Amino acid sequence: MDPLFGMGILALIGAVAAIAGYTEDLESVVGSQSNPNSQVQLAPQMKYPHRLFNKAISGEPLSNAFNAAVGAVSAVVFASAFQLPVITAIVGGSVVATVLHLFLSATSFFGRIASQSRFKQPLYMDVFKRNLPVIGAYAFMTTACILIIAYLMQTYLGNPVPIPVMAFLLGIMVGSIGSSVGDIQYGAERQFQNLEFGAGVNAAYSGNIVRKAESGIRSGIDNSWFSAKFGGPTTGITFAGVLFITSWLTILFNPAWGSIVSWVGIVAGVLFILLTIIANRILEKSARRKFGPYREEEKTEIVE
Amino acid sequence: MIESTIETILFSIFGASDPAFVFFLLLLVTLGGILITLSVHLIPVGGAPAAMAQATGVGTGTTQLAAGSGLSGLLVAVAVSVETQNMFLGIILGGIGAAVMISLVMLMSNIGYIYGIGVPPASGKAVRDPITNDRQDIYVSKGTEGHGVPTASFISGIFGGFLGGAGGSLIYEALIRTTQVSSALFIVLAVILSIALFFINAVIASYNIGGTIEGFYDEKFKKLARSVVVSAAVTFICGALCLLTFINFGGFI
Repeated sequence: MDPLFGMGILALIGAVAAIAGYTEDLESVVGSQSNPNSQVQLAPQMKYPHRLFNKAISGEPLSNAFNAAVGAVSAVVFASAFQLPVITAIVGGSVVATVLHLFLSATSFFGRIASQSRFKQPLYMDVFKRNLPVIGAYAFMTTACILIIAYLMQTYLGNPVPIPVMAFLLGIMVGSIGSSVGDIQYGAERQFQNLEFGAGVNAAYSGNIVRKAESGIRSGIDNSWFSAKFGGPTTGITFAGVLFITSWLTILFNPAWGSIVSWVGIVAGVLFILLTIIANRILEKSARRKFGPYREEEKTEIVE
Repeated sequence: MIESTIETILFSIFGASDPAFVFFLLLLVTLGGILITLSVHLIPVGGAPAAMAQATGVGTGTTQLAAGSGLSGLLVAVAVSVETQNMFLGIILGGIGAAVMISLVMLMSNIGYIYGIGVPPASGKAVRDPITNDRQDIYVSKGTEGHGVPTASFISGIFGGFLGGAGGSLIYEALIRTTQVSSALFIVLAVILSIALFFINAVIASYNIGGTIEGFYDEKFKKLARSVVVSAAVTFICGALCLLTFINFGGFI
């Protein structure tokens, strides 16, 4: 394959992946899925009833992998059995996945809130009605983007993995990135905005989440507004970067051109990893210099 | 005596195919499983507390992060393996792909900790960073056990990612070697079974470390030997089942 053509497709994949990462993170924030969910779950038990949408279908990677795999299988069936055009099939497959995701979100919401009735947590139907369409929209966008990536990778980049399995792998990837990169801003900053900026959440504050919004009482949609400015974009950049760089290893340095080319690819990969180590070290040093220690160095005894 | 007994047993299980070759593939699969277990022990993961900046490491589950990185390596390995048929190259590039994924994730999550939450990366378990020798304890905020990914954890995570990707790719390469036929069915079968073995080993290791670890300098890393034994035993049995599945679908032709 022409490397220039491959790079063009890769750029497109990167752009779509950025959107997928962005919407994936916001979807998990609106429904407070993933790790910060532990605080939403804990809040009523600590006598802080809230109006957040509480769903934790499963860990984000598996939930997204499920959506993507269901969507991909449906899309392949639409395209092969009904001879639908690719883009229509992708939209149809994503709709099927979204409907299933909404079922799971609804049952998960009712189950989780109902299980907290002994802690006097009310079940707000308006929260359910207002947040569910947003969750569905984000889930649709994520699934559609992953299907587009899987289609492009298989058809134009010649990856031999069939579309449903590829979608499953990409779903796991986007979920694990969204869970580890994007959600920390929601968990450590947005949920505890009343605490002073610039410190981890003291374990003593567990469950004491902020329940007031910029205007009125906070629900999942208010949180997505906040995360759309930092958590979502970082997730999108990371997912796009991962797909872009890992695909380079086989597109720009195609192993089929000979073993020397692939060794150059390995060296390029190692160089990129070294660059991230250096960038991380610079970042760590600058953060320590700017923020300073929490305690005086001289007064603290070293306990080995 | 023992060798001939094993050979007889293998012959009875695997039919007409060369038992020595099957056994060799099974050993490769087991080695892949051990590499995955090692990888989970090296990747710095703080679990749910890390998502609240209460623990050092990446803020997600051990299994999930290891799977995310290992499977992105697997995606590279499959592409390489189909292009070149070179087993060694596939394993190395699979490892590099996984290491690239984990390094980007750790870098971006550190950007999140520093600019989104305003905390410097600090380890709660070591007084000084084993690699850079920086003081850690004074940078840990009150009521937490550290936050972010300090340099020692970062480098540990990259090695972990590499081993995980290489292990997953090794399992894939071993399974796909059971057949000369290059068809979508065998690729799918090998990918799905590699994912399955990946998750099995990631969960075993995850239990061993109790869900969180900071890297090679963590006390929990010393429990590695126990996990390796369990992982080897489980992967050996599950690997045999995987190879049998391949034979059932017409492998070894």
